[in-house]
Amino acid sequence: MSTQSGSNERFAQFKLVLLGESAVGKSSIVHRFVKNTFDDLRESTIGAAFLTQQITIPETQTTIKFEIWDTAGQERYKSLAPMYYRNANAALCVFDITNKSSFAKAQDWIKELKKQAPEGIVIAIVGNKSDLNDEREVEQEEIENYIQEQKSEGYDIINAECSAKTGDGVLTIFDKIGRALPVDEVIESNKSRQGGGISNRRTGGVDLSRPRRQQAGQTNSCC
Amino acid sequence: MPTDQESSTISLNTSKVHLNPNSHNKLNGHQRNESSNSRSYSFLDYYGAESPPQISSGSTTIKKINGLDTESESIDPSTSLDVLDLKDDTLCADGDVINNSKSLDSEHRENYIQPINMASKSEILKSNFDRYGFKKGSTLHNITMEDYNEWFNIYSDSELRQLKKWHLLMKHHGFQIEENNNEEYIPTRFPPRSDKVKKMIRKGIPSSWRGNAWFFYAGGYDKLNKNTGVYEKIVANTRGIKNKDTEVIERDLNRTFPDNIYFNSNLSNNTDLKEEPNLIKSLRRVLIAFAHYQPQIGYCQSLNFLAGLLLIFMTEERTFWMLVILTEKIIPKVHSQNLEGVHTDQGVLILCIKEYIPSLWNILGKNFDGEPLEEDKILIRLPPITLVTSSWFMSLFVGILPIETVLRIWDILWYEGSKTIFRFSLTIFKLCLDSPDFQMNSQNGSSETEQIELFQFMQSFPKKLLDSNLLIDCCFKKIGGYGFGSLSQDEINRCRSFVSKQREKINQKNKNKSLTEMTDEEKTLIGNDIHDIYGFNRSIMSGMVWNKNIRKKLSSHKKK
Repeated sequence: MSTQSGSNERFAQFKLVLLGESAVGKSSIVHRFVKNTFDDLRESTIGAAFLTQQITIPETQTTIKFEIWDTAGQERYKSLAPMYYRNANAALCVFDITNKSSFAKAQDWIKELKKQAPEGIVIAIVGNKSDLNDEREVEQEEIENYIQEQKSEGYDIINAECSAKTGDGVLTIFDKIGRALPVDEVIESNKSRQGGGISNRRTGGVDLSRPRRQQAGQTNSCC
Repeated sequence: MPTDQESSTISLNTSKVHLNPNSHNKLNGHQRNESSNSRSYSFLDYYGAESPPQISSGSTTIKKINGLDTESESIDPSTSLDVLDLKDDTLCADGDVINNSKSLDSEHRENYIQPINMASKSEILKSNFDRYGFKKGSTLHNITMEDYNEWFNIYSDSELRQLKKWHLLMKHHGFQIEENNNEEYIPTRFPPRSDKVKKMIRKGIPSSWRGNAWFFYAGGYDKLNKNTGVYEKIVANTRGIKNKDTEVIERDLNRTFPDNIYFNSNLSNNTDLKEEPNLIKSLRRVLIAFAHYQPQIGYCQSLNFLAGLLLIFMTEERTFWMLVILTEKIIPKVHSQNLEGVHTDQGVLILCIKEYIPSLWNILGKNFDGEPLEEDKILIRLPPITLVTSSWFMSLFVGILPIETVLRIWDILWYEGSKTIFRFSLTIFKLCLDSPDFQMNSQNGSSETEQIELFQFMQSFPKKLLDSNLLIDCCFKKIGGYGFGSLSQDEINRCRSFVSKQREKINQKNKNKSLTEMTDEEKTLIGNDIHDIYGFNRSIMSGMVWNKNIRKKLSSHKKK
């Protein structure tokens, strides 16, 4: 377990969940992010897998640790889903750019999150398999329209595309999410709990039980 | 051609044929068979070759289809009854249809791999793959070739000793054992249930007997006899169908055992021809047939792993009936549309942990702020660890534990039933807690870091449990074991019905809503009712009678 090291360094920890149709590449994205590896064939995920990885945002000297829940994609696993996004701070709704129905599925997940997930959750819609651009079924324009539509309803959804296979764009996603998360608030809240001591005693970001005002004013999160 | 022709094929009344491990020519012949009409293939075929064998060209394949290969002819005539004239070639993916394959596919369904007990240890030690076709050095399991070989070197000797004991047991029960140097004795019938047999099974069924023994003790023959021809009919009727289930099945076929040479043609060196492996075709037929036969289940991810592993040990038809037995009798509703059985069994597991491993409950039974979970919330909001453990129940430890360890648990599971899953889950937990690595890591930390450590540990720790004897001893041993062997099926059943009744009651109150989907507001609304329903003003499990012996055992273990 990493603790705070440098005196100027800030540290915060967040729960992130991956959702989306089966075989869109959720586990592959996570493995690229966490282990920087890729396998053409990866065993289907049953239940959920748990991994962690951290990133640094250099400008603010902030280290962000993600606790990642990678989930099974099949429809029926949805009944387990609330367990995953319970207290999640961020969600990646992944689709396969070569599969139109997976894009619809990702939108369904966002709908679900808006209903069920903790307020203030940072949501990204991620098109994977960008290396297969020739077989693309979901056009950028479509995605952009969807994002705009959501925006008009008051939801800021992060839009990202990546290839777990080549690694293109994978880090960018987590960087974007890291920047959208309410890091300052979490650090403040930890400090007050700890009386200014080691700041990651309770690092779980935001959750439902906290007063909502804490979560207000997040430009990139939906509310 | 090889000089060891006579040892190359062994005919068995279960219609498997062994091929000689060392023959390159055989390898080619074998491969040709596999792509045409062979009834059999043994993993040992690969051992002689440093690299997996060449696959013959497509044209050879087609030509060979109607001609029986001599190497595949030594089949017991009794099995010809099983050979059906079905045209299920349309089930091939992506128009990968081979014409004239009427008899081809029906014969394929009889194919399975036959791990050989007597196999020369050195051959296995040399190979990159284990007896079942799995890569030894698996990144998935963080086990290296060296780890594997070191373990197998010792394990295989104990297996041989165990095999001798099995022979004695069979003789004792009046089974005729044909002693023949070239033929391995593989029984199709087994001694009736007894304490002695149970003990032997806990020590491990010989690898090449497994398929038959599992099928026998799980009640496979009953099913099969009552349903003669049913599987073939379903396969014929579901040929080429497309629906939601088949869509997910297709996506999962190649994601079942990508590390197994029988399930992934990419593991073979030949890059020209990547024909769909026979076991993938079998897997497709079994899963589609099962989804059709059990519409209340359909296809559930994880069934692919179960069917896949069974297919290594038995025919498609038997695999199919084993899935039926499993989902009807052993873990009902675990794979159903709403995964209700997962919620129930995870609830039972959590209650068992709370009762029998309180030190673990001290970690799990807290929220991230370190406050203890309220008793009445346990079954409504299962602790997050169940996200990790639900897969243990769904895929019966496939992909969770090293393959030989899975097989040893399956030996016991098919004989003793579902309590086995709980017993071993608890044993794994306890082993994990007791492991020095875990204790080192979890010494100083908050509740959250402690839980997160545990999640990560609970995922990586089981993967390294190569020592199946240790795991089984810990579970069952009277002296020095954890005593989970006394967790009875009756206790599990009562606990299951308790949990599922509670869930039913809550569900009635929240029609169309899963418990876990309730918002805090809703829970507050029905909060009082929950207290009434559960009787939480008393203790959560006041209705349950726990096994005092296990608790005693565990606490005495702790003292040591």
